[in-house]
Amino acid sequence: MTLLNAEDITVSQGGTPILHPVSLHLEPGEPLVILGETGSGKSLLAQAIMGTLPRDLTARGRVALGDHLLDAARPNGFRPLWGRQIAVLPQEPWLSLDPLMRASGQVAEAHRLVRGLGKGEARAQATSDLDRLGLSGAGARYPHELSGGMAQRVAIAAARAGGARVVIADEPTKGLDAARRDEVADLLLAELARGGGLLVITHDLALARRVGGRMIVLREGRVVETGATASVMGAPTQAYTRDLIAADPENWALRTPAAPGAPVLTATGLAADRGGARLFSGLSFDLAEGRILGVTGPSGCGKSTLGDVVLGLLRASEGRVDKAKGLTATAFQKLYQDPVAAFPRHRTLEPTLLDVARRHGQSQARIDALMPRLGLAPVLLTRRPDAVSGGELQRLALLRLLLVRPKFIFADEPTSRLDPITQKQVIDLLCDMAETEGCAIMLVSHDPALVARTADHVLSLGPDAANVDVTPPRVARALQ
Amino acid sequence: MNTLITRGIQALMVAVLIGAATFAMMRALPGDAAYRIAAGRYGYDNVDTAAADAVRDELGLGGPALPAFLSWLGDLLRLDFGTSLVTGNPVIEEIGHQLGASMALAGVAVLLSLVLGPPLGILAGLRPGGVLDRLLLVVSTGLKAVPQFLMALILILILSVQFRLLPAAGHGEARHFILPALALALGLAAVNARIARDAMARIGAMPFYSFAQWKGLSPHQTLWRHGLRNVSVPLLTYLGLQFVTLVEGVVVVEAVFGWPGIGHALVHAIFSRDVPMVQGTALCLGLSFVLINAVIDVLTQRIDPRRAT
Repeated sequence: MTLLNAEDITVSQGGTPILHPVSLHLEPGEPLVILGETGSGKSLLAQAIMGTLPRDLTARGRVALGDHLLDAARPNGFRPLWGRQIAVLPQEPWLSLDPLMRASGQVAEAHRLVRGLGKGEARAQATSDLDRLGLSGAGARYPHELSGGMAQRVAIAAARAGGARVVIADEPTKGLDAARRDEVADLLLAELARGGGLLVITHDLALARRVGGRMIVLREGRVVETGATASVMGAPTQAYTRDLIAADPENWALRTPAAPGAPVLTATGLAADRGGARLFSGLSFDLAEGRILGVTGPSGCGKSTLGDVVLGLLRASEGRVDKAKGLTATAFQKLYQDPVAAFPRHRTLEPTLLDVARRHGQSQARIDALMPRLGLAPVLLTRRPDAVSGGELQRLALLRLLLVRPKFIFADEPTSRLDPITQKQVIDLLCDMAETEGCAIMLVSHDPALVARTADHVLSLGPDAANVDVTPPRVARALQ
Repeated sequence: MNTLITRGIQALMVAVLIGAATFAMMRALPGDAAYRIAAGRYGYDNVDTAAADAVRDELGLGGPALPAFLSWLGDLLRLDFGTSLVTGNPVIEEIGHQLGASMALAGVAVLLSLVLGPPLGILAGLRPGGVLDRLLLVVSTGLKAVPQFLMALILILILSVQFRLLPAAGHGEARHFILPALALALGLAAVNARIARDAMARIGAMPFYSFAQWKGLSPHQTLWRHGLRNVSVPLLTYLGLQFVTLVEGVVVVEAVFGWPGIGHALVHAIFSRDVPMVQGTALCLGLSFVLINAVIDVLTQRIDPRRAT
């Protein structure tokens, strides 16, 4: 029996269509993945099916959920089905739990108020739900006392408590590292095995591969390709899908290392602390022109701190950084994670870049020469930062750094806010520039695949200071 | 626990600073204190040089300032607030009488402001940008902009003089509470409502608020279970700060309505240069500020476990 059947779902904003007709159906035990980049309309599709679209957007189409027939144009009709027929998994589980309520209470209230169990019964059911998800004893904790993974499981228990059979997960792995991502996928599949339906919305290819089932690829509000997930990902028929899959760091070709140039810096026995706790210690490495040092590890392990120590923005607790003779402080530069925050908001880009060029004795000609090399159209310079896409703005940020003629760039998660295809472009350009401009790069990323395929050396920072190793990735791979 | 220790230290510093400041200010006032105290004791018509000299000799007013201040501080450590220069009664007794009257007025005003402000603010915050929200912004800004003495006068003019509904002054019956409490409450409610509105709008836009509804909770259930508790934390914190406005308001409003409270007493003590009374009253107000904030600290830590760590 089909659990959910949505026909000809469209979404428009003030008369302009932003999602063209999409139909989908969910069968028990078979997951459906909707894959797309930011702006592809994948979240809009999910919101139209759940009746949670923002007020200024209008949906059309028919949704059949069990015995209920619903009109997507009337979102109020969906409300009674929330929790009872459709369970929605939130994007950021930590923010989705009430900070002032204990974990078990947030699960129990759905049992009591949605399923109508008695108080004691609801509490017992919540405890057994949490036990089943491996959270025995965590029910009495408040959300701030839970790890991100635990919060994710509490959210799953709370979303399912009302008895819904259809689960919709919108970007359930946003900001998670690889191990945690697989954990979430397995949890979702375990729920599916109990006879429900699962709809996963994501841009994460690894998650899509792990979830399996069927797949719909969306781009700019239109369906590009549909089919079994394994066959779409194994043998995509559309060019866009091929690009998308090629852009996954797992599928990147290994970068051919550049010949190292003159030495730029040497770090000896570096250690740093945060809030009285040691982040890392005994780190020694050296960097030469054209080389890329990758730094990876879970969030909070001190990746950014290490970069700031090398730049001299933070003082090391132990050890020293020796910069090559003759290099000024401005030869050491930083590429920030969020390009939007790195540009003045109310100014067009041209004067901003010209200021930097003039300050460092460069002319407009240098900007004009760099623009095409970074794949940037001249018209972008007349715009303000918010009228330029994230990928373009990050490339403009790189251009601005190059005006200073740096010898070292600390790139702090430079692509974590970009879509896969854009991410690959930016990283490729960054590597190119390292080679042609003769500058050393320290590339920080939470994605080990990206770092392994890009860097000449990888430094993995562990959760405890002892777990630090400096391994050339090629050697590491040869050993596997 | 830590917060209570901090508050304890604060209370000590408040006592010393208030004592020193009031002492210095009273000394710095122009005019001969002996004449003013004599006027306070015997009435303005009965004051002459002889009476003023008698007062000066009796109280040792001519002496240097520092020993007088240190002896006040020493007495304070023994919990001895001294005696009123005017009535000769112990300061602590005088304050005890007046404090009760003031606390009753302030309590009624705070309750009234909580009944008026936060519910409207929460309703407005549930639909930011709606009609109620915009209306409330205008009304609350207007009310907040009216100084309390003017608010008191406006209320007297409208409700007592024009419509003769309520007494313009007096103390002792329930209906005497209404005007002064309302004069205080309107200003407090204006700000309470804004705080509640902003908190509600912020919390309503948070992912957990949507998620609670996606779990299947109705809008009412979501508001009761997840909205109010979260709104109460900033509201309570603000209530502690509002105590300053409240004290300021109590002094003004008591003077306007002739309410026999601590604010009224403070004003009179200043007029008649009754230094121990001024010090005692100011100290009492300062310490209650610390006490109220300590209570609010404990309460918010109870509600919000994140603050306890």
